[in-house]
Amino acid sequence: MLTPLEEEEIKFVAEHYASLDGAAIEALKIVQRHRGWISDDSLRDVAEALAMTTTELDSVATFYNLIFRQPVGRHVILLCDSVSCWIMGYDNILEILKRRLNIAGFGHTTADGRFTLLPHVCLGACDRAPVMMIDDRLYGELDADKIDAILAQYE
Amino acid sequence: MEKPLTRNMLPGRGPFSLAEYEKAGGYQALRKALTTMSPSEVTETVQQSNLRGRGGAGFYTGRKWSFVPMGEDAPQPKYLVVNADEMEPGTFKDRFLLEGDPHQMIEGIIISAYAIQASVAYIFLRANYDVAYRGLQVALAEAQAKGYLGENILGSGFGLTLLLHESAGRYICGEETALLNALEGKRAIPRSKPPFPPVVGLWGKPTIANNVETLCNVPHIIFHGAEWFRSLSRSADGGTKIYGASGKVRRPGAWELPLGVTIREILEEHAGGMRDGVSFRAVLPGGASTDLLTADHLDVPMDFNAVQEAGSRLGTGTMVVVDDRTCIVGLVHNLIRFFAQESCGWCTPCREGLPWLTDILAAIEKGRGEPGDIEILRQHTHLLGPGNTFCALAPGAVEPLQSALKYFEEDFERHIREQRCPWK
Amino acid sequence: MPQLTIDDHPIEVPTGTKVIAAAEQLGIMIPRFCYHAALGSVGACRLCAVMFLDGPVKGLQMSCMVDAQDGMVVSTTDAKAVDFRRQVIEWLMLHHPHDCPVCDEGGHCLLQDHTVSSGHAIRRYRGAKRTHRDQYLGPLLQHEMNRCIQCYRCSRYYQDFAGARDLSVMQIGNKVYFGRDRDGTLQSPFAGNLADICPTGVFTDKPSRYMGRRWDYERSPAVCIHCSLGCNIVVSARYREVVRLEARFNPHINGYFMCDRGRHGYTYTSAAGRPRQAIFEGQPADVDATLQHAAERLTSIARMHGLAAVACIGSLRSSVEAQGALVRLCNAQGWPAPAFFDDDERLAAVQTAVAQQHAQVHVSLRAVENADAVIVAGCDPIAEAPMLALALRQAQRRGATIVVIDPRPIELPLAFQHIPLAADQLAACLDDLITRVGTVAHDPGALETGSPADPLAAAADLLVRSRRPVIVCGTDLPNVAAIRQAGKLARVLRENRDSGLFHVLPGANAYSAALLNRGRSMAQVAADIAQGAVKALLVVETDPFHHLPNRKRLTDALARLELLVTLDYLDGPHTRKAHVFLPSTTIFESGGTFINQEGRVQKTAGALQGGTALRLVSNTHPPRLYGQGIPGNQPMPAWLMLSALSGESAFGSSADILQWLAREVPGFENLKAAQPPTGEDLLLDSAGRSEIGRHCLDVTSESPLNPPNSGGGLHLLSTERTFGSEELSCRSPQLIELESTPQARLAPSEARRLALKDGDRIALAAENGFYETTLKVADNMAEGTLAVGRHCHPDWPWDGRHARIADRSIKKIDQRETKINP
Repeated sequence: MLTPLEEEEIKFVAEHYASLDGAAIEALKIVQRHRGWISDDSLRDVAEALAMTTTELDSVATFYNLIFRQPVGRHVILLCDSVSCWIMGYDNILEILKRRLNIAGFGHTTADGRFTLLPHVCLGACDRAPVMMIDDRLYGELDADKIDAILAQYE
Repeated sequence: MEKPLTRNMLPGRGPFSLAEYEKAGGYQALRKALTTMSPSEVTETVQQSNLRGRGGAGFYTGRKWSFVPMGEDAPQPKYLVVNADEMEPGTFKDRFLLEGDPHQMIEGIIISAYAIQASVAYIFLRANYDVAYRGLQVALAEAQAKGYLGENILGSGFGLTLLLHESAGRYICGEETALLNALEGKRAIPRSKPPFPPVVGLWGKPTIANNVETLCNVPHIIFHGAEWFRSLSRSADGGTKIYGASGKVRRPGAWELPLGVTIREILEEHAGGMRDGVSFRAVLPGGASTDLLTADHLDVPMDFNAVQEAGSRLGTGTMVVVDDRTCIVGLVHNLIRFFAQESCGWCTPCREGLPWLTDILAAIEKGRGEPGDIEILRQHTHLLGPGNTFCALAPGAVEPLQSALKYFEEDFERHIREQRCPWK
Repeated sequence: MPQLTIDDHPIEVPTGTKVIAAAEQLGIMIPRFCYHAALGSVGACRLCAVMFLDGPVKGLQMSCMVDAQDGMVVSTTDAKAVDFRRQVIEWLMLHHPHDCPVCDEGGHCLLQDHTVSSGHAIRRYRGAKRTHRDQYLGPLLQHEMNRCIQCYRCSRYYQDFAGARDLSVMQIGNKVYFGRDRDGTLQSPFAGNLADICPTGVFTDKPSRYMGRRWDYERSPAVCIHCSLGCNIVVSARYREVVRLEARFNPHINGYFMCDRGRHGYTYTSAAGRPRQAIFEGQPADVDATLQHAAERLTSIARMHGLAAVACIGSLRSSVEAQGALVRLCNAQGWPAPAFFDDDERLAAVQTAVAQQHAQVHVSLRAVENADAVIVAGCDPIAEAPMLALALRQAQRRGATIVVIDPRPIELPLAFQHIPLAADQLAACLDDLITRVGTVAHDPGALETGSPADPLAAAADLLVRSRRPVIVCGTDLPNVAAIRQAGKLARVLRENRDSGLFHVLPGANAYSAALLNRGRSMAQVAADIAQGAVKALLVVETDPFHHLPNRKRLTDALARLELLVTLDYLDGPHTRKAHVFLPSTTIFESGGTFINQEGRVQKTAGALQGGTALRLVSNTHPPRLYGQGIPGNQPMPAWLMLSALSGESAFGSSADILQWLAREVPGFENLKAAQPPTGEDLLLDSAGRSEIGRHCLDVTSESPLNPPNSGGGLHLLSTERTFGSEELSCRSPQLIELESTPQARLAPSEARRLALKDGDRIALAAENGFYETTLKVADNMAEGTLAVGRHCHPDWPWDGRHARIADRSIKKIDQRETKINP
């Protein structure tokens, strides 16, 4: 079941579309913002609201990498792995993050459920490479010390 | 040197509010267009300015607008779509403009929509540009409250609904027709052309998609005129350009400069040259899907025609500088892996060819390359050409590869011969 | 019409033809995967690359995406094109598993064909292959995703063409996956076509998995007999059994596809329980001897009790040859003419339909796809003639508006308007439409500006504005009056439009049965038996228990017979109770002529030699059974056995029967014409219909559908279902899983009125019995109607398919009790 707030938000964006299914991506993002990820149940909730089948909606959802169809931690770290960040030391940053978070690599979540680490393509801040985002904040010119300080801010 | 695009961007503070923007002369161009010019006059002015699209394709903006059916019998509603899906690796110039002066783009959107008589406009903003998103929300509300958006703008009779849509990822959304499918709530698969979007676009209606930077130029062109705009440039094509540099330069960043400054100028005067310990080896002049240029090309003007003659593309105009301590094979591997991952999966050559190239490049980089590998790489640079694939992603993807083989084939051969990466 | 040159061959084609289709007309099959004539061009696979050497387009282009234009010079053999196509195959083979030896598609695999034709042979790719997990998709289709070459045909067919919503493409790049969001039976009754269109072995026919290779099979063309549309099929047989069916292209009927009922309904022909032995008074016997005994017994009863004491019942699933032989037998012996239809109402309905469907007004199934407006009156397409639903979808995709006027909660795989009207109001409604359409035709100003509250006005408006309207009318539900009005509506529209009439009939050979039926209905025969007027009954290839749903009444009647002779290939109470049983061959064994609902004559040869399937006779391979003759090979064609019963009037061959019909029976004149092997373009159409028409006019329009207004109560309708109703396919084990339990559907207001809820178990009381079922509340159905899904072997306490039921006769069953509360 969608919450009243989720329903309202979806209804608001759906107004601009001739048919409900046009708002599929936005609806998924809205519900993901509230719930953290899109479970099968959430998928079904959104599909019902948009008069789509779960298959039709999953066809759209699984195309887009920022719709999470698996659970994520409380905070999602997106580490840029594109060319400028790679030139500026991405490999090293990845190793630092893996060690600090004590996880095996991309796709994993810390034991305390705090962070999930994911790769992401160019984040559009190449002049500050290497960069990562945590939730909606961008962090650039990363090094080991900066990373420690940044991670410490998140619970 | 006039810098119309960045003149409102003051260091150490956020973007201008609407009041500040107006005070600095903002929305005067809008007034001029809506109250003293006809839509075709606006299009005509932009055509004469020689403004070329700043998203990478470089199509003449005014000419694209002229393909839109006009008049009472034209299909309605018509759409203007802002391609703010900046995801080309090495590119960060639109972020600059979106975060730095959202009203400038909004004004450009309204004028452009007026020119093609679009009644609805969408800003298709890539995910993860959260600062820009929030700034745009504020600016849009301000513009709506002031009556620059909505019905009967400035009493002209022209109305525009402007909507902000944030994507859910995927580089292919930057492809014009894939973007339209994403806006329609579908998988972002490109569409076959013809029909072209100005005739059959969003929801089957006439649609113009323009890049952020392209639209930011429009208010200035309208306010100061086409001739003025042409005068800003060092080349036949008008205006200034937001150039950028990333990689191991001293001062990576973005700068507004006349269209046509040379690579050397950007690199040495603005980016401060190479850092200590490394020297220049190559550059991708316009982002990941452009051909590498070498030290022989440092004096090539960064405009559309000159870069093309030199064997590359201006693309987005944000350079990725490659130093001599960075492995070219690794670089190309990183780039091809990006494109392979972002392939939408529709057509065979891109879907299957790019991951195969990734596999080969990974092997070569790790010292497991085999003698026939370079030939396979080379074949693909021809096979994944325009027309053989469904869209331009794969042809763009092989541009750095084909140039790497052209200028640095020895690097590849060394990896294969020595069965290791000599740069590690 | 553009003229172009392909591989030095000139050709002229209609404007809009793609180069790939133009090449096909020259016999040049440019390799392709994603292109399909029914699905159109999308340009995904890139395999159809050819070189354009000259003309308005130049260079390497995808031939499926380029319109043929004047002056084009195309080469499919140019080295650049050949190289590129070879490369496309290499790309597709990067991840394709080397499992031809264990893949069912092998031998009829488009990927195999094009891998060989492209010249690609040696793998250069050294990487790992991507693999997928497969899904359970139901009993009809096997899913093996590793073989996928991402042609997108399946999702395009399933979603776009067939309008189904539970299969799509997921993910991105080379990880794309074609399937459902989770395991589960595919919902579309057209899902089986996935096995035909998938160019590799991702989707293969599940029931026939591992049963043989394409080159092991005897394959022959045939027609489907599970409804009146007559879709074309290809039969694959091996070791004396039918192994699988595929759709065969027919440009007038089914196009490239078929429904799952037809695709998987064949199992009756090779079933273990099929009766293959003649039985005379409880003992197995020789067919010839049994025929003789039967003839003697029938003659003796006629002598003792009079000619009218012998009655015959024929079948809608019999071939024209068998039907004709039965009519001739009755003529020759002086017995009353055979009965082919369930009851008088049904007989009149079908004869009315056939009589009014003359050449100027009938349309083929494919023509329905080109309609711009369709009124579907009293017909449930997806249940009664599934491929009609698919044709309606194509019409709708091309811009047509579809309006269904029917009391049942109709479901269709397309957007349509539904006017839920009680069955007995159908005639009046169509009459109303005729008036409105007629009025507007004379006075355009009279056009109501479509108040959405009046859907009938909207429907009339739709027809008035249309150019190619089609009126579809069933014969299962509507009464004679409604059917006549449907015909009249089509004729009125024809005055200044390209309109059409399309009737759905109740069986594969109902059209010819309508022309042949000169006497009673089955119900009348049963009544005559009960009264004692009929002493002997000959039943030919039909199960009366399927057609006369009141099992008790029929059982009692049959018990009164002195002689029951049954001729069939299905077992059932009618064969088990028979004094004399004669086994007949199926369409797969002896072929036959079938005439579809449009009057299209289709003749098919047999597909396999008769006899018990080898797997039922021997479980070793190769079989180590030695002996003479083929086990279980006694069944003979029905026409041949009936002919033998006629004695002197025996037909020499099956062709003789058709000649006889053409000479003697009004309506069959065109059968005289020389027939191509499958008689594709032969349509029955003649003045003989007026005689039928006259006959029908005599039939009263009083019927169970027009009961005297008794106020209160509901119309009880027995309605056909896609799976589980039709006599032959309901026996198919792979289709049994797809049947839903028959339910009773009721409008919400009626449920409220009767204090019933969705899911309640209810009992319906008739004069002499009860019928238990589950209630389903359905939004989009007519009030005053209770629609119960029909079971193929019903135990139905009413005499007809439709009845009147009083409110007090509907009771909820308390789940704790097995008895019904009085």
